[in-house]
Amino acid sequence: MEIAAITDWECCWDRDSIAMGDCPNIGEGDEDLLSSRSRRILEKCCECENFKRDMVRFRDSGHPLAPVFSILHADYRRQKTQIQSLANFLDTKTLEVRFLHELGSVLQSSVDLDEVLSVALTAITAGKGVGMNRAFLLLADKERHILKGHLAIGPRSAEEAGRTWQEIESGDQDLQGLSQLFLKDKLTAERNKFHDILERLIVPLDDEQHIISRALEERKPILVTDAFHRQDLDIDFARLLGVDTFLVLPLITRNRRVGAIIADNFITHRTITEQDMRSIETFTFPVAFAIERASLYERVQEEVDKLRQANLRLQEQQEQLVRMEKMALVGRITSSIAHSIRNPLMVIGGFARSILKNTPDNDPKRTFIESIVTEARQLEEVLGEILTYSDALFPTCDFWDPNQLVESSLRDVQERAVAQDYTCRFHAGEQLPAVYIDFKQTTYCIRNILLSTIDGLHNGFIDISTRAERDHVDVRIVDRNRTLSEDELEALLTPFTETCEMGSGLNMALSRSMLDKQNIPLVVVAPPEGGVTYTIKLPTRKEEQPHEQIAGS
Amino acid sequence: MSRLLVVDDEANIRLLYSEELADEGYTVETAANIAEAVEKLGQQSFDLAVLDIKLKNESGIELLQKIVKERHDMPVILCSAFSCYKDDFSAWLADSYVVKSGDLTELKEEIKRVLAKKSQRRAAGM
Repeated sequence: MEIAAITDWECCWDRDSIAMGDCPNIGEGDEDLLSSRSRRILEKCCECENFKRDMVRFRDSGHPLAPVFSILHADYRRQKTQIQSLANFLDTKTLEVRFLHELGSVLQSSVDLDEVLSVALTAITAGKGVGMNRAFLLLADKERHILKGHLAIGPRSAEEAGRTWQEIESGDQDLQGLSQLFLKDKLTAERNKFHDILERLIVPLDDEQHIISRALEERKPILVTDAFHRQDLDIDFARLLGVDTFLVLPLITRNRRVGAIIADNFITHRTITEQDMRSIETFTFPVAFAIERASLYERVQEEVDKLRQANLRLQEQQEQLVRMEKMALVGRITSSIAHSIRNPLMVIGGFARSILKNTPDNDPKRTFIESIVTEARQLEEVLGEILTYSDALFPTCDFWDPNQLVESSLRDVQERAVAQDYTCRFHAGEQLPAVYIDFKQTTYCIRNILLSTIDGLHNGFIDISTRAERDHVDVRIVDRNRTLSEDELEALLTPFTETCEMGSGLNMALSRSMLDKQNIPLVVVAPPEGGVTYTIKLPTRKEEQPHEQIAGS
Repeated sequence: MSRLLVVDDEANIRLLYSEELADEGYTVETAANIAEAVEKLGQQSFDLAVLDIKLKNESGIELLQKIVKERHDMPVILCSAFSCYKDDFSAWLADSYVVKSGDLTELKEEIKRVLAKKSQRRAAGM
């Protein structure tokens, strides 16, 4: 048949415009092709079955251009397929680059090791990432020269896999969202779930034959296939993983072996392709770098914590040193002042007494002289107290029974307590070890605390108890009748200050100074809800007295 | 009547001791420093000495050692503003130790006690 005689072409290529339904390949959304003949031919006709049949009729017509046209048509189709393939490749690479960018951003934003690991393993197993079923992370323990299983992610059964993947699918989260979810809700659970495998995933770093060592040595991933039958692979290692195909990814930064990742498709058994391996390989460096950075940060944090603790201890010791220096200085100054004052005071008091002796009872001046005697005596008492304070810098220690110590102190305050209707209840601990103390000074301190406690109050209780602790005996005095503010508590323990509640602060400060000198802690706790508890920790062992040098200097 | 030697660098204290102890019936001699005390001890005999420990730039302990060395039979009472000397081994050479006070009752009682002890020792031939 001559070509000019054919008019009933099946395809619509010979018409300028067509109606919807005339072409089986044109549907909704392609309306503009109905009136554009050239676009319709290029985009639809070349692939249409009707067109192919028209082409057969054209070839059969014997027209000389028919073979030429056939060649052009075939080449056009081949090129179109190639372009499509390239476009698909570019799409894949674009997704990969986007994913890497996202992964890099997330990894760079964190210095928390667990978070970094969560991101890394989520990236390997998430469908939006590489989409492997499981991933195991081994970290290098440089002290022990081993790689050790640290974390794993993935399902252990098909049922769990279905559930988890459905959950992830419905959540529509990005990589950061998924890894945060994993870190928050699943990290510990996953670690426990894979505990049996992780604890056995131990590879000596010097075992050069091990597949992981080889990957680290060669600095590139290794795709292991037929794992159960390979001569160069430890069969137990393959059995532990339970798969015959897996991927080993070395984690290396510069020249440091950070660890390794093992990934597999334990559930789906999907073939691990070269493409999968290349995809994972691209992000092993940022992952290794982030892990190392997080590990270093963790170590730095540990050192910072240690430093902070050391600094705190130093600060405490410095404060104690300053306090002791102040105490020693105060002791020296008060001792010197007291001596200078005592002699004239003694003369004033002494002569006043002499005059008083020779003054008749009805002499009006007698009252004045009596006042001088009384005031001089009071001043002498204050001086005595101040001198005792400076004496406190020189304790003489020996072993004593702690209950005897408390009983002796109680005897000293008994009279005063009875006068003020105060009851001192002593709960003596049994079988207490001897304590190494200056008996006289420590008794003085306990007595001071008791006297300060009952000072100005009537009708109350004080509970005193002794109890053995690990290397000391606690003497605890509980006063439930007072409430002290923080300022009052501070003032209570500072020499030469007064609290409105507890009178002269010297006694308590003196007690603290005496105990400090013996290296005996005095802990005073005054909670806002009321009550004051004094705890004196008496040592049961003879130890170096670190403050002696300060006092003696 | 017992004879007492009071050694103190403070003139008013020497005066106070003299007055008060004379009222108690003692004969009182005073000295302001070690040299003066040694001179008086060389010239007269005393039943008891009351020594201040801090004598300006001198030490009453030094005088105490001298007395103990040369006059075994004369008791010494140390008198000081510092109670801490009670624990000083050198002060243990003294027969008694009294902390200075305007109230001389304790000093007077100690003088009586120490002198009585001395008499007992003499009576016993020690």
